[in-house]
Amino acid sequence: MNWHYLVNELYYQRRRTVASIIGLSIGIALLIILNSLSLAYRQAAHAPLREIGADVTVQRSGDVPENLAGVVFPCSAVTIRDEEVKKIESYPGVRGTGKALLLWVFDPNRAWIVLGIEEKNSIGPAVLRSSVTEGRFLEDGKTEALVEAAYARQFNIKTGDSISLANRQFPVVGLIDASRAAKIAIANVYVPLAVAQDLAASSSQVQSVSPFARQDVNLLFIKADQERITEMASSIKTLMGKGAAVATPDSFLKLLGSLFALSDKFTFAASLVAIIVAVLIAFKTMAGNIAERAREIGVLKAVGWTNRNVVMQLLAESVIQCFIAGIVGLVIAIIASYGLSFMKVSIPIPWEMSPTPHFLPGGGDQIFKILRLPVYVPWKLALFGIALSIIIGGMTGALLGRHVSHIKPSEVLRHE
Amino acid sequence: MSNATILSGTDLSKSYGDLEVVKNVSLSIGAGEFVCLVGKSGCGKTTLLSLLSGLEKPTSGKVMLDGKEITDASEDELALFRRENVGFIFQSFNLIPTLSAWENVALPLFPIKMAGEERQRRAMELLDKMELGHRTEHLPSALSGGEKQRVAIARALINKPKVLFADEPTGNLDSSTGDAIMEILNRLHADEGVAILMVTHEVELAKTAERLVRMHDGEVIS
Repeated sequence: MNWHYLVNELYYQRRRTVASIIGLSIGIALLIILNSLSLAYRQAAHAPLREIGADVTVQRSGDVPENLAGVVFPCSAVTIRDEEVKKIESYPGVRGTGKALLLWVFDPNRAWIVLGIEEKNSIGPAVLRSSVTEGRFLEDGKTEALVEAAYARQFNIKTGDSISLANRQFPVVGLIDASRAAKIAIANVYVPLAVAQDLAASSSQVQSVSPFARQDVNLLFIKADQERITEMASSIKTLMGKGAAVATPDSFLKLLGSLFALSDKFTFAASLVAIIVAVLIAFKTMAGNIAERAREIGVLKAVGWTNRNVVMQLLAESVIQCFIAGIVGLVIAIIASYGLSFMKVSIPIPWEMSPTPHFLPGGGDQIFKILRLPVYVPWKLALFGIALSIIIGGMTGALLGRHVSHIKPSEVLRHE
Repeated sequence: MSNATILSGTDLSKSYGDLEVVKNVSLSIGAGEFVCLVGKSGCGKTTLLSLLSGLEKPTSGKVMLDGKEITDASEDELALFRRENVGFIFQSFNLIPTLSAWENVALPLFPIKMAGEERQRRAMELLDKMELGHRTEHLPSALSGGEKQRVAIARALINKPKVLFADEPTGNLDSSTGDAIMEILNRLHADEGVAILMVTHEVELAKTAERLVRMHDGEVIS
């Protein structure tokens, strides 16, 4: 193989080289962009759960209490028994759990959405620790409350005030801007989990709809191994029976509704089409190249090049051309991905995951998590694109090498 | 000037389907001999040249070059054999359009492991001999017909061949350029003792050769 000959061939046959590179690079770029988009939607689908430090949330829907007074459970979040939590914690792939208890508290002159949260945990609503805008976060064993900042503004509640929930007094130790963090399990007031469990356990309304012991919860957040989430979700549904609501990145992906989000099969099929198009373009170009250069190949053979010498030269040309096409395709994909990363997606948060009584202002409004589509080209995908283009070049060159052996110098050089 | 036989074809025949193009031809060329193969268009001259040079295999008969039979050699063995023993000059020059003059001359050396500088030195030396020392970096498209053919002759000589096969080497050139090319071939034959088998249909040109072989309808007639 002669580099100088190769470079000259690619340089002086610019039109052929450029046409071939453009064709193949579009195929490679399409492949990379499609997969980057698909990956971006998958990552976007993780966002609502990730911002609360979890990969999966578990709830159980139940009956609506007959009388909306005092402490009640939203119908979308009734008791998850402690033994169920322990069983779930033992499932393969569970790396950790966070617990919470969501309550609606209907006092005579005000309705509260109250979330009982763990004081220390990196999974679940305890991650709101970083969203405290005034005062401090909840401390172990204390009966105290944090109030959501917007709610506090609306009702003129300040740090240091005391609020009454189900006839109990709670000193307000801080304000929290939950809207900057999570869209799931948002509440007006945050209290220690143990206090919320005590409120629920002593509520006849709660007990009449869904028996509740002091160790039980109604929201479970799970950090899990990505590859085991589907299997785990299925096991949890089997364990909890009818009414189990398990939210996973996949369930958010379905809510996104994009073709890329809906189906791996679509991405696979579209990628396959892109690859086939790229292969066909490379093959056609190379076949045309060989047909066009039959006389030249005849000369090479006449002056003593073996079939192997000729094939290696053409193979190297094909590989280099496809490699350049791969690089160009990657650059196109990176630029396109940068452009696409300005696109915004709105992920609808199901009402069940952040239930607000419909009769309260904004109670029935759909909540969206809006974020920029995190499109980028992962290095593995970039390497795959380049490797694929080299393989296509090698394959094409090797396949068409057979034709070289059929070129007889005496035939192609005969007629002047 | 004829010495020991360097190239011989014995009872050579070549058929394409039912069409017999070369019919039972025997021909020998001595080392350093200049033989001209003449005949009308389509009489089988070029096919005979292809058989004798190892570009094509005969349907029957055998070819010996420098004491070695090449008839049963594989395609790759023939390619190596051509690289080491013969040189070709074609009517339409057949230069590689993307390579410069010196690179075209060095083309047969590309598959050989050799320092690039040595390859270039040998090509330049031959181009100097062809009085093309000032055109070494030019692409074929920038050369005249005569210059192209001189590059092709230099390419044919780069491996110091035992036999030079020339197929209508002046066919695409005007008469004065053609004469100049013939002068080069004659000089090569006279000064360097290269055996030459030249195919032409121009009897006037053929007269410069030592021996004239006439073909008609696939057979040698004299």
